[in-house]
Formats: sequence, structure tokens, C-alpha cells
Amino acid sequence: MKINIKDYLFRLAHLLFIGLIVVQFLPDQSGGDSYSNYLIGFAVAAEILTLALTAFISKKESRNLFLDIVGFIYAFLILWTLATSKLNLLNPSLFPPFGKILAQFGTDWQKILINIKSSVGIILQGFLLACAVAVPLGLFLGWAARAGNAATYLSKFFSSIPPIVYIPYGIALLPTFRSVSVFVIFLASFWPVFAGTMSGVLNVDKRIMDSAKVLNVSKPELLFQVILPASLPQIFLGCNQGLSVSFILLTSAEMIGARDGMGYYVKYYSDFGDYTRTITGLLVIGIVVIGVTFLFNLFQKRLLKWR
Amino acid sequence: MSTNKIEIKNLTVQYAEKNKQFTALHDVNFNVSQGEFVSIVGASGCGKSTLLSVLEGIYQNFQGEILIDGHPLEGTGKERGVVFQHYSLFPWMTTRKNIAFGIKQVRKNLSKTERLKIADEFLEKVGLGDFGNKYPSQLSGGMQQRAAIARALAMDTDILLMDEPFSAIDPKNRVILQELLLKLWEGTGDTPETRKTVVFVTHDIDEAILLSDRIVVLTSHPGTVSEIVAVPFARPRNRSELVQTLEYNKFRNKLLSLFYDDITNKIGGEEVVL
Ligand SMILES: Nc1ncnc2c1ncn2[C@@H]1O[C@H](COP(=O)(O)OP(=O)(O)O)[C@@H](O)[C@H]1O
Ligand SMILES: [Mg+2]
Repeated sequence: MKINIKDYLFRLAHLLFIGLIVVQFLPDQSGGDSYSNYLIGFAVAAEILTLALTAFISKKESRNLFLDIVGFIYAFLILWTLATSKLNLLNPSLFPPFGKILAQFGTDWQKILINIKSSVGIILQGFLLACAVAVPLGLFLGWAARAGNAATYLSKFFSSIPPIVYIPYGIALLPTFRSVSVFVIFLASFWPVFAGTMSGVLNVDKRIMDSAKVLNVSKPELLFQVILPASLPQIFLGCNQGLSVSFILLTSAEMIGARDGMGYYVKYYSDFGDYTRTITGLLVIGIVVIGVTFLFNLFQKRLLKWR
Repeated sequence: MSTNKIEIKNLTVQYAEKNKQFTALHDVNFNVSQGEFVSIVGASGCGKSTLLSVLEGIYQNFQGEILIDGHPLEGTGKERGVVFQHYSLFPWMTTRKNIAFGIKQVRKNLSKTERLKIADEFLEKVGLGDFGNKYPSQLSGGMQQRAAIARALAMDTDILLMDEPFSAIDPKNRVILQELLLKLWEGTGDTPETRKTVVFVTHDIDEAILLSDRIVVLTSHPGTVSEIVAVPFARPRNRSELVQTLEYNKFRNKLLSLFYDDITNKIGGEEVVL
């Protein structure tokens, strides 16, 4: 394969990278940005990574998409730099130079890691527990069609209650913040996963059921080798919904009553007016949510690769 | 001497529609002998699928009597293999897993490796030797039907029930599949005693003539048997030679006129899509 240099090097993303570096050397308005080295370091690392990755992405569309995303990030950083340290258009305590945020990662990473571990641990525990109960229950109730129809209405009622209102009751019920959070996340993810499983089971294509019938498959085989895989797409729809609700819920809960967790980190430092850490926390939450969702999607793609 | 494999006596099927009954089949009577290939032809909506779903054991709320090997039919059974027009295969299993899963249902004593080995043999027979690890969604419609036929044959049931298995396939591939099925079925035995008994639904006259020993013509509203015609061509048959003969074309015209007469009588000479 002949590598077309133009395809790889003379791209808007790379021009924006150069722009970003150049902008850092413009004179400061805001009395000196001692953090621009962090941003330069970050940009160089990002650029090297981008160049390395684009060499590996063989599909042209994917490569373009990737470069476009990188380009947007560079453009955003250029604007940020101009608006803060270079032109001083924004309140520097609310909008710290981006390098300062990066530096914060450097000093706080251990604290951040502990908080991530706490948040993700609670989510996984509550969410996986919910899946472990909701999927078998939905499978059996959906299979017993009459019970399933009734349960569909009940689950509609319960899933219509915004799960955040379970928190006060959870606090009365359970001793620790952690157990309350797991409980609330369990409830929040239970209903979408349960409803997804049941609608999957109740809507298995009649032709597939006929196919299973004429093969005389046994009851357990029908349930686990036919109905379960046939419902899997719907089950995953419910799981995705449960997972995203879980994140919203946990970070909100952490802002109310926790001593750990990403929501706590954000709230705690914003109470002190430390908006550098607040923004750092926001970015970390974004990265964590994307990371967890990405891994979950990989798992889903694997199980649904037959589609 | 031929023995009756399937006996259909006074079969009537009424579907319940909003506060009235719709008669899909009315007083259908015919037998299928051991080792015989019988096609059911008729216009769309005349009750072919209904008849087959009764034989499959899926539709049980019928009136009349169905005997298989002289015993009343009770639901689905391991002596009957089925190929549908769509979704015979499970989309989440690879083709060889699909076939092995079918084999497992009729031969519980085989190990997993033995089942997969048989699956591979039959995939080879239908020309899908290299496609065992593909999922149905990765195959063309024709390949999916090949795999479905492979599964039905691998299950080695006495009876094969096929409901328009080739109707959704493009004409060129349909001909190839017809010839494949003809070859495989004629290959299941030299005499009726050893051959598989097949009930095959189609609305394609040429397909019915090429494959069948007898053709049952259904008329619609309600579905009744209007005619049962024996196909007078010797086996083994060769499609390209057969279709050039005068006898073939005479026979074909006779069947077509049976077909059109019925429909034009019923709806008064409007244009008909078969
Ligand atoms: N489950 C059902 N309920 C009510 N009517 C049905 C049902 N299945 C089929 N029918 C009707 O019975 C008639 C025969 O249908 P079918 O056996 O599918 O015909 P074919 O396979 O010959 O096209 C059609 O008019 C169809 O609308
Ligand atoms: Mg039909």
C-alpha cells in the first residue's frame, strides 16, 4: 500500500496543533501564565499520539473522524487560551488557564484515582446486582406471558419515579452512604433492565419461536438458548439506559452526602471557590463515563456480533 | 405397494376473526405415501401455510384428523423436519452451531464433536463447506436456505415439511437450489421405502413439476383441494433436459389452466398474480 503523505500530514488538525503552540508564545495580558508549559507538553503528547494512531487507522472515514475530533479539541484549546491568559476576557478564577487544570491533574491524580475508584465501585456493584436480578426475573416473568403483561405495567409505574427521590428513604433505611448509593443505583438500573428484558422476551419474533417449536427444544433450552439470546438486544437497551441513569444518580448523590467520589470532589472544591479543581473534576467525570460506556459497548458488541 | 405416511382426513381450519369465523381450509382430504414428494400449489392466501402449520404441529386447533404413520398427530414431533421461508435458523448461532443444535434435538446421545462433525458434512453437501463459522446475517438468502436444508437433512427426520423455502430467492439462485434439493432428496434413497417423505409448499408451477411425484392444487376461500395431479416424469430428473420436452410443456399448460380456471372463475377474469 502506498501511503499518501498528504492524507496524513497536511491536515487541518495538524495545522491547528501548530496554531495552538504558536498561541502559547503570544504576550500575556493576565500577568503571566506560568502554566503554559503544561499545555504545550500536553499538546505535543496529544499530537504524537494522534500521528501514531492515524498510522494505524486504515479506514479513511474513521481516520478523518478521528482527526476531526482532535482538530476540535485543538481549536477549543486555542480559543480557551486566547480568552483567558492572552486577551483576559474571562474571570480568571472561574476560567483558569488550561495549563493550570492540567497541572492540577498532576498534583491531584492520587486523590482523583481514589475518588474514581469509589464512584466506579459503587456503580458497578449496584448496576451488576440489578442486572443479575432483573434479567432472570424478566426472563421468567416475560415467559409466563400473563404475569409478564401485568409486570410490564408495574415496571412502567416504578420506572416513572425519578430514582433520586429514593435517596431520603434509602438514608433512613441503610447505615452508610455507600450502601445507600448501591441501593439507589440498584433501584435505578433495575427497572430499565427489567423492562428491557421483558419487552425482549414478549416480542421474540413468532417465526423464531415457531422454529424452536418444530425442533422440539426442551424448556430450559428454549429459555436459555432461544428466548434469552433473541431478547439480548432489548436487554442491552435497558442496560445502557440503567448505566447512564446510574452515573447521573451517583454523582448527584455524592454531591449531597458523600466523603468520596467524583461528585464529592467537584462539589467540595466548588464550595471553596477552587474552580480549577471543579473543572478538573468535571473533565475526569466525562472521561470516566466515556471509558465505562466504551468498555460496556465492547462487551455488548461481542455478545451481539451475530446481528 | 405403498403405505400412507401422512393421512389428512376432513381437515378444516377456522380462524377466529373479530366476532366472526374465517374458514381458511375446508374439508381437505389427501394422503402422502412413504417416500413420496408432494407439492401443494395454490394462489397466495389459499391456505398453504395453514395446512403446513397443521402438519408441523404448530397449529393445533383444527377439525378433522391427521395421522402420521397411522397415529394421530399430537403437536410437533421429532419425525418431522421443517424448513420455513424465513428464520429457520437462529441468528445468534453460526451455521454449523445451528445444524449441530438441530442434531442435538433428535440424537441426544451424540457428543458435541460428533454433532459438529455431522454438521460440517452436511454443510459440505449443500456447498457451504467454507461458511460453517458464519452467522446467518452474514449469508445471502440463498445460502441461509441451503443451511436450513442442511439442518433438516442432518436431523435425518422421516418427513420434511417445507413452506415456500425458495420464494424469497432470486430466480437464478432459485433454480440452483431446486436442483440441489432434487439431487439431495433423490439421493436419500433409491426406493420409496428409504426415501424421505416431503410435503413442499410453493406457488411456482415449474418448481412443483420438477420436484414432485404428485401435486395438490388448492383453491381459495375457503381452501379446498381442487385437483391432485401425478407428475408423469421418471426419476432421476434432469431439469434442463426435462423442460425441453414436449410432454413437459403440455403438462405444464394443463396445470396452469387448472390454476387459472379456478382463479378466473372465482373473481371473474381480473388479472391475477400467482
Ligand atoms: N393466524 C391467523 N388468523 C387469522 N387469519 C389467518 C391467520 N393465518 C392466516 N390467516 C388467513 O388465512 C388465509 C390463508 O393463509 P395462509 O395459510 O397463510 O395462505 P398461503 O400460505 O397459501 O398464502 C389467508 O386469508 C390469511 O389471511
Ligand atoms: Mg404461505
